[in-house]
Amino acid sequence: MPSETLEATGDVRELSYAEAVREALGQAMEADERVFLFGEDVGVYGGAFGVSGDLVHRFGKERVIDTPISELGIAGAAVGAAITGMRPVLEIQFSDFVTLAMEQLVNQAAKIRFMFGGKASVPMVVRLPGGSGTGAAAQHSQSLEAWFAHVPGLKVLQPSTPHDAKGMLLAAIDDPNPVLIFEHKLLYKTKGHVPAEAYRVPIGQAAIRREGRDITIVGSSIMARKAEAAAERLAGDGISAEVIDLRSIRPIDFTTIAESVRKTHRLLVVYEGVKTMGIGAEISAMIAESEVFDFLDAPIIRLGGADSPIPYNPVLEKAAVPQEDDIVTAAANLVRRGEA
Amino acid sequence: MPVEVILPKVDMDMETGTIEAWHVKEGDLVRQGDTIFEIGTNKAVMEVEAPATGAIRNIKAETGVPITVGTPVAWIYRDGEAQDAVPARAPSPSSAGSVPDGPAKSPPIEPAIATSPATAGLRATPLARRIARQNGLELAAVSGTGPRGRIGEADVRRHLDERRRCASPQAALAPVPAGALTEGRLQPFSAIRRIVATRLSESTRTAPHFYLTSEIEMSAARDLLRRLAARHERIGAPKPSITVLIARIAARILRDHPVINASAEGEATRFHENVDIGIAMERDGDLVVPVLRDAGNMDMPAMTREFARLRDGMAKRTLTPAELGGGTFTISNLGMYGVDSFTAIINPPQGAILAIGRTVDKPVGRDGQIVLRPMANFTLSSDHRIIDGVAAARFMADLREAVENPEVLL
Amino acid sequence: MSARKTDDTSGAQRPNQRPELAALDDETIAGALTRMHLIRKFEEAAEASYMRGLIHGTMHLSIGQEASAVGATLPLEAHDYILSTHRGHGHCIARGAEPKLMFAEFFGKETGYCKGRGGSMHIADVEGGNLGANGIVGGGLPIAVGVGMSIKAQKNGRVCMVFFGDGASNEGAFHEALNMASIWKLPVVFVCENNKYGMSMDISRAMAVANVADRAAAYAMPGHSVDGNDLAGVAAVAREAVARARSGEGPSLIECKTYRWRGHSKSDRNLYRSKEEIEEWRLQDPIRRLEDELKAHDRFDAPSLMKLEEDAQREIDTAVEFARTCPDPDPKDLTRDVYAI
Repeated sequence: MPSETLEATGDVRELSYAEAVREALGQAMEADERVFLFGEDVGVYGGAFGVSGDLVHRFGKERVIDTPISELGIAGAAVGAAITGMRPVLEIQFSDFVTLAMEQLVNQAAKIRFMFGGKASVPMVVRLPGGSGTGAAAQHSQSLEAWFAHVPGLKVLQPSTPHDAKGMLLAAIDDPNPVLIFEHKLLYKTKGHVPAEAYRVPIGQAAIRREGRDITIVGSSIMARKAEAAAERLAGDGISAEVIDLRSIRPIDFTTIAESVRKTHRLLVVYEGVKTMGIGAEISAMIAESEVFDFLDAPIIRLGGADSPIPYNPVLEKAAVPQEDDIVTAAANLVRRGEA
Repeated sequence: MPVEVILPKVDMDMETGTIEAWHVKEGDLVRQGDTIFEIGTNKAVMEVEAPATGAIRNIKAETGVPITVGTPVAWIYRDGEAQDAVPARAPSPSSAGSVPDGPAKSPPIEPAIATSPATAGLRATPLARRIARQNGLELAAVSGTGPRGRIGEADVRRHLDERRRCASPQAALAPVPAGALTEGRLQPFSAIRRIVATRLSESTRTAPHFYLTSEIEMSAARDLLRRLAARHERIGAPKPSITVLIARIAARILRDHPVINASAEGEATRFHENVDIGIAMERDGDLVVPVLRDAGNMDMPAMTREFARLRDGMAKRTLTPAELGGGTFTISNLGMYGVDSFTAIINPPQGAILAIGRTVDKPVGRDGQIVLRPMANFTLSSDHRIIDGVAAARFMADLREAVENPEVLL
Repeated sequence: MSARKTDDTSGAQRPNQRPELAALDDETIAGALTRMHLIRKFEEAAEASYMRGLIHGTMHLSIGQEASAVGATLPLEAHDYILSTHRGHGHCIARGAEPKLMFAEFFGKETGYCKGRGGSMHIADVEGGNLGANGIVGGGLPIAVGVGMSIKAQKNGRVCMVFFGDGASNEGAFHEALNMASIWKLPVVFVCENNKYGMSMDISRAMAVANVADRAAAYAMPGHSVDGNDLAGVAAVAREAVARARSGEGPSLIECKTYRWRGHSKSDRNLYRSKEEIEEWRLQDPIRRLEDELKAHDRFDAPSLMKLEEDAQREIDTAVEFARTCPDPDPKDLTRDVYAI
């Protein structure tokens, strides 16, 4: 696992995902005075999901800045600060609200370097809490990461563990490009081992969470965690599943996926965003176009979000996105019967 | 959209089927549930019903040719559906892409369907195709076990293994001159013939056979059969045959010889709880083996009735695949054809088969005298992977005892 | 510099001139006139190249608006920033861009300001403080807020001037940007070039207030409405706004009322305005107005003014020739600058 090899041998504690993000923000601001955090309610409120916490008290209101409810404006402000020597980290309170900031992210942040012939760079980070499962309904639960992965010039990350949440945020702050980090809201309270010092998880490397022979399950964000749990159950059923956590969807680590599929001959892609025109379509197509196509012994299967807005009712909400049982069933069917 | 009619899988180990007869012809109107064709499997003839109501079009499967399970064999067009959506015959590769005669009609409504017949017979995964390509293997020769007959990696590997085992050194040493064996009529295997060929080839390759023959006196058995015949007549049961009597006896003593009523399963022996005895029979030149289920718990009238029912059903082709497979032991009697003795090939995955020759009066020594007695040769073929010589010999000893003194047992 | 030298450079010693003009010394005036000529001639040459098929795509010409671009940037210092618009050639030249590198960009050449990747709508000179023209109406406004935040955090005393049109003042970005700049007292000067039309939409149909400057009141910042064809007038309000920004008092909104002589872009057939209206505004030519005023006050004579114009024309002719002979980008470098490494 690439991430493990980069782990330092120093002090390692159990932290929650949210604590790991906060620790990364704190360490980045301590190390580099160009770094500042801003967004709606990130100050004394501590962030809508408590991620920024006490940072305003440690770094002051000049560096942990509460903004008006102006998503387009603050996204543009991040661009302006980034091109003039700062390292802004912007929090979009719910990733759904990024729809209001599309212009600045897609037309400006992503393209400025290219349009200016490489003579500018836009080193900004946008953190976007997303995903369903909190009963927040259709306008506060979406998984829109694939939209941004469609835009050359942006980088799009989906860390699934506290370890990666910290290491990838620090790598993103170092990165000279605009980086969007989609943090699944249900992951904020999950715990994991996190080294104390500032370390980086390289952008664009997937992690093999579990090795297997019979099938490759590629998951992004929380679906990587669900795939891991599903693989454990599949093992009890005699099916050896390899689980790949994408971690980064632009750039995407196609090599790791292709090598795995070459070995297992079967591919299941699991993601929470709407299945149609989503991440799974891209991965499926990349495999189909590549020389690994010849190693497929079954159709590629995608498990993605339903073609539906996220509903309020908890039963419907669960039905709208892939669950662990769905992954187990789909993987078992694919291995045993060659179909979903 | 027209409804596809496929060659259905009607039995667990069915890879291909042969259409024995079409009950409909091109353009016929059928109702959902009507019988449209019959398929022969390795065990029985099955009627296939129309999956929808409409007109039958594009019948593309001929009778008597093995077809991979899942292959579309015709389409049913419902009212108002364009009938030229699918070419009357799947285009041959040489005509693919050629311009049809005359002015172009309206474009096909379902182009996806129009192209599927050409490829449907060869559903295969990319990996299967790759391995086939690397091994110079025509995929058409491989039977697919995946959904809709799709050929997967495992199918190709199995085929290649078989091909490797079959490669005969003699054939390699003395190649047949081209054309030397091409005269005469070439008849493709029937579906049943294919299965028989595959299964018995597998049996001789994988099961090391050994044979024990006993010459057994049939006087008491004949007496008993005579008396049973009279009794069966009284109670309205069919007349018993020597085959049924031996099956009855074998069923009884097999309970004391579990290792003979067993199968090799990988690297294990499967001991069967029931005794299900298959009787090898011939039908229209094909070998079929109807099974007397739970023969160990049947009395003679019941067994005779069941045997008559199976024989009758076989002739009328009304037996289900379940009635034609899955025995734990097989009996083959060729005595009625004047055969003295023979060795049979084990019906896999069973562990043994009993071959019975004709009963003939022979001089034998009894109490210091040479006398004539009705004698028959019983030969047991055993799979040495699970049955040793002594175990087989003990079974044969008990068989002799029981056949020569049947009333003790029955 | 061929202007007639004067010993005094103080406006107080030019009592018969209006204060806005008197405040500008001859060297400044000559420099501004040169820039206005360069803008005019650059755009005329660009238009001619386009009509001869030497340039593809489209362009948005600002002929007639030269005074607002040059006047507004006159008070800026070398390290200050500007952000520009789709009609941005004037802002680039006013800020000191080299016409030959701009033409190379127009011609799509590797030697252009953006290596041929940006074209007319995206000319930038980041090192020179020009953070770029923008193809999105109002796109530069929120960016200016971030630039202001940088300046404040870095305490470097700079100012950011962002140009936009009357149309952009109806975008949400305008209101979000002015609000944030005001609450955080950022060193930003918002310069609206009100040329009466958002493409074909007359401002009287597009906004309920009479002046864009009136909108400053909603954000508690000064709003100035000024004759955008009067170089000296524009420079005077810009000087006040820049000073306010630099001193930490916060942003200002300047509205330069002006007019574009050409259509919105090359596809415009001028169906929404009359020939008479265009002719009326041509009489308000900002270059001729300034020249006439200078001659009237006897600050420059006709030959020296003529020389400024001829020098500008020569520079533009050389620039076009330079651009035409430069190499095209190599297609293998297509994605080279998508990401910084």
